[in-house]
Amino acid sequence: MKIDYFQSIVLGTLQGVSELFPISSLGHSVVLPHMLGWDIHQNDEYFLSFLVATHLATALVLFGFFWNDWMRILAGLGRSLRHRGIAPDDADAKLGWLLVVGTIPAGLIGLLLEHSLRNLFASPRSAAFFLMVNGVLLLGAERLRRRAPAHADGDPDTRIATELTWRSAILVGTAQALALIPGISRSGAAMGGGLRAGLSHEDAARYAFLLATPIIGAAALLKLPDLFGSAGDGVRGPALVGALFSAVSAYLAVRFLMRYLRTHTFTPFGVYCLVAGGIATVAIAVG
Amino acid sequence: MLSNTRVLNALTALAALALVVLAVVYFAEPASSLPSWVPGHETGSAHHHVKHGIAAAVVALGLGVLVWFRTGPQAHEVAGR
Repeated sequence: MKIDYFQSIVLGTLQGVSELFPISSLGHSVVLPHMLGWDIHQNDEYFLSFLVATHLATALVLFGFFWNDWMRILAGLGRSLRHRGIAPDDADAKLGWLLVVGTIPAGLIGLLLEHSLRNLFASPRSAAFFLMVNGVLLLGAERLRRRAPAHADGDPDTRIATELTWRSAILVGTAQALALIPGISRSGAAMGGGLRAGLSHEDAARYAFLLATPIIGAAALLKLPDLFGSAGDGVRGPALVGALFSAVSAYLAVRFLMRYLRTHTFTPFGVYCLVAGGIATVAIAVG
Repeated sequence: MLSNTRVLNALTALAALALVVLAVVYFAEPASSLPSWVPGHETGSAHHHVKHGIAAAVVALGLGVLVWFRTGPQAHEVAGR
């Protein structure tokens, strides 16, 4: 069997957590199998098919977790299209278009460069190095962040729509594309960008999760036929189990982060990435 | 000033239309049949650049929405101020 059920449980759980924690799911899914001596490689067709299922599960969990926000955002988008403009007091419409503007650059870069970047940087050595880079970026974002209220009152979506400019939405969205390099975290790049744009930790995380939902979901849907084609032969069962565990761990992760970041910073995640990347680099060099 | 805005809107709409055509070409034609100046052209390749097509369609949609907003009543209010 290409991926056994135990491996699918470990990898599914890891994917759900590391996709949402700012610690790079792709980096972990490259480094961990190598360190455990599993014969699983990032660019193998069956493993990509497995990842489609776990990513789709994560996207669905995010969509469900922020269901009320998405309903408001979609209604706002519809309203603005009907009125052919964004009313100054329509925070839902503004947030919706900020998400669209942020999603387009990352989506385009992903569509056009994903394959070549993944081939270029998919080695465990490279992923371990970029995991350390991710740590430096997170710690740097903490140091350079614009001051924001630790936890302001009021509706978080309105706060985000008020604080973010179109320019910063494009920058945050583009920063997400860095996550095509295994080791760099998509949510970390978006959260760090949100901090730089003046959002609080909690709002930066919320915006990062909203921004991640369409791009993770679309990427998974685009590759879903692979799972049901020949590339999915022998991995559909483990992929389903992995997706279930990914969904549960993603739900717990997003729930934890939305509470944790009300009062804490990204520093522990930055330190973790530096330490984990350092240990993995040494282990790969020695082993 | 308003005429400049109209010209810009017309150019944006034309670009959106051209990208829709490009997206259709990417979906319908294999890489070998793409014009040589189009990104993705490969002699002898039967591969369809579906991702390129999606990218072109997404940008076309974005430009279309931009024109839709820029020619709406709110944009005219702003331009009239």
